[in-house]
Amino acid sequence: MNRYTPFATAGLQSLLQYRSTFLISAVTATTAVGVQVFLWRAVYAGRESGLLGGYDLPTLTTYVLLAQILGLVQANRVDEEVSGEVQRGDIAVSLLRPVSYPLSRFAAGLPVSLTNAALVAVPVLLLYAFLLPLTAPTWTGVLLFACSAALSLVIGFGVNLLVGLAGFVTTNIWGVRVVKDSVVAFFAGQVVPLALMPGPLAAVAHALPFQGMIDGPLRLLLGRYDGLLGAAGILAVQLGWALALTALAAYAWRGAVRRVEVLGG
Amino acid sequence: MTPLTTASRYARLTWHLSAVSVHRLTEYRMDFLLGAGGLLLRVICQIAVIDMVFRQVPQIAGWRYHEVLFLLGFSLLPRGLDRMFTDQLWILARKLVQNGEFFRYLIRPVHPLFSLLSERFLYPDGFGELLTGIALTWYAAEHLDLSLSAVQWLLAPLLVLCGTLILAALKTLFASLAFWTTSSFPALYAANQLGDFSGYPLDLYHPSLRWLLTWLLPYAFTAYVPASYLLFGHAAMLPWLFVVTAGLVTLALVVWHRGVDRYEMTGS
Repeated sequence: MNRYTPFATAGLQSLLQYRSTFLISAVTATTAVGVQVFLWRAVYAGRESGLLGGYDLPTLTTYVLLAQILGLVQANRVDEEVSGEVQRGDIAVSLLRPVSYPLSRFAAGLPVSLTNAALVAVPVLLLYAFLLPLTAPTWTGVLLFACSAALSLVIGFGVNLLVGLAGFVTTNIWGVRVVKDSVVAFFAGQVVPLALMPGPLAAVAHALPFQGMIDGPLRLLLGRYDGLLGAAGILAVQLGWALALTALAAYAWRGAVRRVEVLGG
Repeated sequence: MTPLTTASRYARLTWHLSAVSVHRLTEYRMDFLLGAGGLLLRVICQIAVIDMVFRQVPQIAGWRYHEVLFLLGFSLLPRGLDRMFTDQLWILARKLVQNGEFFRYLIRPVHPLFSLLSERFLYPDGFGELLTGIALTWYAAEHLDLSLSAVQWLLAPLLVLCGTLILAALKTLFASLAFWTTSSFPALYAANQLGDFSGYPLDLYHPSLRWLLTWLLPYAFTAYVPASYLLFGHAAMLPWLFVVTAGLVTLALVVWHRGVDRYEMTGS
């Protein structure tokens, strides 16, 4: 474990070096929440009877807000940094180190997530809590959410690492990231809760790993599950995907390393 | 050199350099598909959200489904065009001043701004937005049985052009700040991000936000104002569109020139 501490410190230091990324994240999250909230407020204003997919306006507002914040916390720049190392060729140096590359990346990404949570997520949350009526979660909800959010970080990391490794296949990593940012965010429920999606789309979303990143944790937080068994089910599915994605990322990494060796010939 | 020969020289250069970019495009086909396809998918997700909204209500803030689609489609036209021609400004904001490479653009026998932008003419990613925008606008207009008057047909391309100029000017303005701050990427990014509001009817928003998007960061003139003119014939804001375009372009060029002058001073 100790071997990975320097990576965590380095990740944190480079983040604090580029403090402007905090501003970028904050503006992005605030804008995204703003667009969605204004849109759904107009929908509620245009309807006689209240509930959409079982959400009333304050709960949906809470969902939209927390979805962006969770997305922000999962944005740990691993995709950017891994693909950057691949493109510059720095990845060769990483291969020489007596540590696991995916693990060292995780160690570097974790403090980024936590710092983002503290320095960006909290202010954005407070801003909207001040502006809009929100739903306060229960303590059970918060507890379940904490476990679920931890698992969602692992899933998010797996996705980001895979996107980063795509740098071995294409030079337009920007394009891959646009795809990831829109498609993953959509199917994760970051834009609209899965409960509001039409049947077939919701079915696709439920079958994909991404719902474990946003929709799962927030359903637990807002108490939208059937009893204890339902909550355990959400967590179990998340755990399953976390393990599967970790395995997939490890496999992809091994394949990528083989490719480096071939090129280095 | 008369203004006319200068203009034709730049037009020829643009044509030639664009052709070079198209060659690059056939070289990196996968990259092109990813970039254009990525933006296409982003629009599809946006349409999906609009679909979900209109499953619940027949109209929002007085706009019907196909009208909102028309607005979204129209907003992509200037955005796609702008992305095709001015994306090098992102690089300027991010690092060209910081690492000193900007001098390269000063020693070529063309205007430095043109020299900078020409590096990425017809950057393929914009195609995705432009084509989706055309398709979406067309589809929505068909469904609305939109019949434009002769004046509207004449003005439509001009409105797209003005929208493109506004976006390009905003980008130039914020990217030029890098001459003072060495990196203006966060400012450019933040300003660009606020443009996301412009794909939806501005009637949805709080008046203060609407004011900001009209007069401070005038994204309203890139989609909402022209689209409401073409859809509903609301022409009251149109004169302002031309005033804002002219004003903003002038401002951007002035700031750009000041910035370039400053850059030369620090270089010597």
